[in-house]
Amino acid sequence: MSDLQPRQSTRSPDSTVAPILSWWAGGLGIGLVLIVAVALVQPIGVSTQYVVLDGVLLHQVLPDVANQSSYLSEIAEGWTLTTYEFFFVLGIPLGAFLSSLATKRFSTRCVPGEWITRFGAIPGGRLVWSFIGGFVLLFGARFGGGCTSGHMISGVSQLAVSSLIFSAALFVSAIVTARWLYGDWGKR
Amino acid sequence: MKLLLGLVLGAAFGAVLQLSGASSHTKITNALRLKDLTIIKLILTAIGVGLLGVHLLDLFGWANMKVKDLYMPGVAVAGLIFGVGFAVTGYCPGTALAAAGEGKPDAWATVFGGLFGALVFAFMFPDLESLLISFGQYGPVTIHGSFGVPGLVLAVPLGALCLWLAFKLPDPGGAR
Repeated sequence: MSDLQPRQSTRSPDSTVAPILSWWAGGLGIGLVLIVAVALVQPIGVSTQYVVLDGVLLHQVLPDVANQSSYLSEIAEGWTLTTYEFFFVLGIPLGAFLSSLATKRFSTRCVPGEWITRFGAIPGGRLVWSFIGGFVLLFGARFGGGCTSGHMISGVSQLAVSSLIFSAALFVSAIVTARWLYGDWGKR
Repeated sequence: MKLLLGLVLGAAFGAVLQLSGASSHTKITNALRLKDLTIIKLILTAIGVGLLGVHLLDLFGWANMKVKDLYMPGVAVAGLIFGVGFAVTGYCPGTALAAAGEGKPDAWATVFGGLFGALVFAFMFPDLESLLISFGQYGPVTIHGSFGVPGLVLAVPLGALCLWLAFKLPDPGGAR
């Protein structure tokens, strides 16, 4: 039991990074949100709403172009944002905003620590790569028909074969990319 | 009423993501680098609870299931693409929104990049559909469905396995 003391102190060198909830409480919370959603409406999903917002915005500016795309007109049905699905996704930043205020974790830091260590503290570089990453992320999510929420949490919970394959491929590629990007290969 | 329900459920989801560190770039990046498995443990717990809860609801006929179509190799290729983006930004489409709500400008950049990526996909869809999405199309296949057994038969052992793994994987405070 004498190792309890140092373990406690090495756990969170930076107290602003250490999460409030432990992994099991967080996992339980997400699982419960999914169960309530499945009982009352449908499984949770996020990435489709990126297309819906695209469609509605494009329909405002260039209605003809938006109407031409069968994909947009089908997914952003009726060109409206007042749907359960969109409001669920709208709730995510709202909930995170409120809980970060309540726990005094709201912060406008632009470059995260791991990124600074590897690539330096230049905000421009981080923002550009963050944008490119987001582009690739949603392209892949739409191609696969879901993201971490729709495929990994909802889909795997329903034992969907498609979601298991998507999630396995996602993890393999994300781990290989992250370890390459942060220079972990070769060093132990 | 349904809009309010969506907003409340979404807000609960966003708050849990934020409070448990799932929207933290540091936590996600270190999980993918296999240096700190907190987020992996969290996801396994969520799936374990989800598997049990969803299939228990289904047993009583209370579950509104929505199973996604399987298309091979399209879904695997999509997962590989998604993973690259995930590693580069350190957020996924949902956690980027949560981190944006926490005030992080780089998460906003990911959301805008995502909106652009989804738009480009929408206009490439007619070409991609014939090539990769309708190719190898099997429809909404589930594991228990293809074995012809009730979902709970597989959900109980698999859910228990996920939860067991979540507890067994090392804590960051443990072996480094």
